[in-house]
Amino acid sequence: MKDINLAERAVTMNDIKIAAKGVQVYYADTHAIKDVNVEIEDKTVTAFIGPSGCGKSTFLRTLNRMNDTIDICRVEGDIRIDGEDIYDPKVDPVQLRAKVGMVFQKPNPFPKSIYDNVAYGPKIHGLARNKADLDEIVEKALRRGAIWDEVKDRLHAPGTGLSGGQQQRLCIARAVATEPEVLLMDEPCSALDPIATAQVEELIDELRQSYSVVIVTHSMQQAARVSQKTAFFHLGNLVEFGETDKIFTNPEDPRTESYISGRIG
Amino acid sequence: MLPLTIPFLATIGLATLGYFLGRSRAISVAGRDMRVLNALPHQHGLNTCFSTLLPPLAVMLVWALAARIASRKGVMLAPENPTLVYIILIGLAVAGLGLSMMKISRDFRARNASERWIMGLLIFASTVAILTTVGIVLSMVSETLNFFGQYDWKAFFFGTTWSPSFSGRGGDSQLGIIPLLWGTLYISFIALAFAVPVGLFAAIYLSEYASPRLRSIAKPMIEILAGIPTIVYGLFALLTVGPLLRDVFAEPLGLGDSASSVMTAGLVMGVMLIPFVSSLSDDIINAVPQAMRDGSLGLGATQSETIRQVIVPAALPGIVGAVLLAASRAIGETMIVVLGAGAAARLSLNPFEAMTTVTAKIVSQLTGDTDFGSPETLVAFALGLTLFAITLGLNVLALYIVRKYREQYE
Repeated sequence: MKDINLAERAVTMNDIKIAAKGVQVYYADTHAIKDVNVEIEDKTVTAFIGPSGCGKSTFLRTLNRMNDTIDICRVEGDIRIDGEDIYDPKVDPVQLRAKVGMVFQKPNPFPKSIYDNVAYGPKIHGLARNKADLDEIVEKALRRGAIWDEVKDRLHAPGTGLSGGQQQRLCIARAVATEPEVLLMDEPCSALDPIATAQVEELIDELRQSYSVVIVTHSMQQAARVSQKTAFFHLGNLVEFGETDKIFTNPEDPRTESYISGRIG
Repeated sequence: MLPLTIPFLATIGLATLGYFLGRSRAISVAGRDMRVLNALPHQHGLNTCFSTLLPPLAVMLVWALAARIASRKGVMLAPENPTLVYIILIGLAVAGLGLSMMKISRDFRARNASERWIMGLLIFASTVAILTTVGIVLSMVSETLNFFGQYDWKAFFFGTTWSPSFSGRGGDSQLGIIPLLWGTLYISFIALAFAVPVGLFAAIYLSEYASPRLRSIAKPMIEILAGIPTIVYGLFALLTVGPLLRDVFAEPLGLGDSASSVMTAGLVMGVMLIPFVSSLSDDIINAVPQAMRDGSLGLGATQSETIRQVIVPAALPGIVGAVLLAASRAIGETMIVVLGAGAAARLSLNPFEAMTTVTAKIVSQLTGDTDFGSPETLVAFALGLTLFAITLGLNVLALYIVRKYREQYE
């Protein structure tokens, strides 16, 4: 019985995309992340859940070194993407962030046209050889972001003029346009209404075909809907990590059980 | 003018007294339970205070204005008996005090009344500011019209020679504004060409790259520049920059041997403008949301790419505003020009030659023995009005640009 189960697991198992070992994060004297070990698979949606201030967003930001922009933040431990240590002094964080895209909590389109918002990354990284190339990349990204039909007639209108849900899908399209391998999403639906949330969730599920997606969310229902793997953080510790179904139906740790049944958090 | 000091002080005294009287009366009317009052005792006090203060003040102001206008027309509006005026004014104050004291009762809505008085005070303050502006413009316009009555306006606006004569005989003065405007614009252009890049880059460094500690030291240091009186900049131009530019550039290049030059005044003025540009731009760049930076950095942009393509465009309306404000300052600047640029009105492209500006010539036309009837003196008003029109136009342009960008981007 046990053996059969294992065999099934092996079939659905994808390659390990990100491997974190013994990660510690400090903000000045505050120990924000305590000895986190986690392995994130390719072509999978991994959800980070946990109460506010538990360190899930902080940990997410260590994965593309966005924490470098905070002066007082210090990261220790070993994080490897495709076996390569991303905190190695030889690694350029700018290159890394091109490979590990990020979508933020609040939609943050640039004060530029819709087209220029999406073309921003490809232009910077020299992905397009000419205008036609760029047009194609932009269209592809907007289609992937499930927003092409809504904006195709007004590509040169300002991106800030869209509704909140459209802005967030534009930001996802913008992140996708640089062809990252991993997509980090920091509570991407927290500023959106239920309909926009549903659209973004549907989109996340589609993105799983091509990327490894890591999503931080406050909504346990959302984690259950979109993710295959779930990690529960509490007070800077990674309490439990495993199949989403298992975490929500049969958690091992009493803290996880308390959180998902609404007793802590 | 009527000596209004005594009634003025008396009114203020009565108003202060009124505040305390009104408050204590309100407290006594309320009895033991404060809640039966419709308004707080403090508001009753304020109502009494303003009712005492404002009517006599308004009468005094109208009176003073009327007397001033009348005296211009040659009529003396002074009453034979100043005591009568005292009695009227102080009587008004006492009447206001008495009436408002009588009104105090449990049901009197002193809250609304005192709010209305305060609104009146605020309207009065803003009216003073607006009327002063209007008054300045009107007086300039009337003197300018006076000037154009004596001197042909075409010769003023299109004349390319500036050579006023002070012999007292009009007619052989040539008062063309073009050489002065040319000097003003040339010097301002050099000043801005120096101050805008330096100030903007300093602002970008301070807000995006510098550590908080460095920033907390460097920002006040730059702002000290703004506190230096312009006459000190003028001395610096006259004694240091001028001779230096002459010895290092002008003479070896064969461009002239004058220490006072457009370049001297322009560079020193540029130094003066740096804090305006950098301080305002710094505030504006800091106001760009962190989400914009995160978004760009998260896409794998470098810091300078982020600044060039996201932050500066987002901050552009504000930066344009800062630059145009600096331009207004440059055009209106006088002291640096008087000491650094020389006094010769000249139309030339050579930046190492002495030139002069509109403001410097206004000073020289109005200093010394002046006869306020001659065109040589009155031309100062026409120059001033022209300058005012230019800076006003610049400000309107700044507003227009800022609005246009806002509509496009937000």
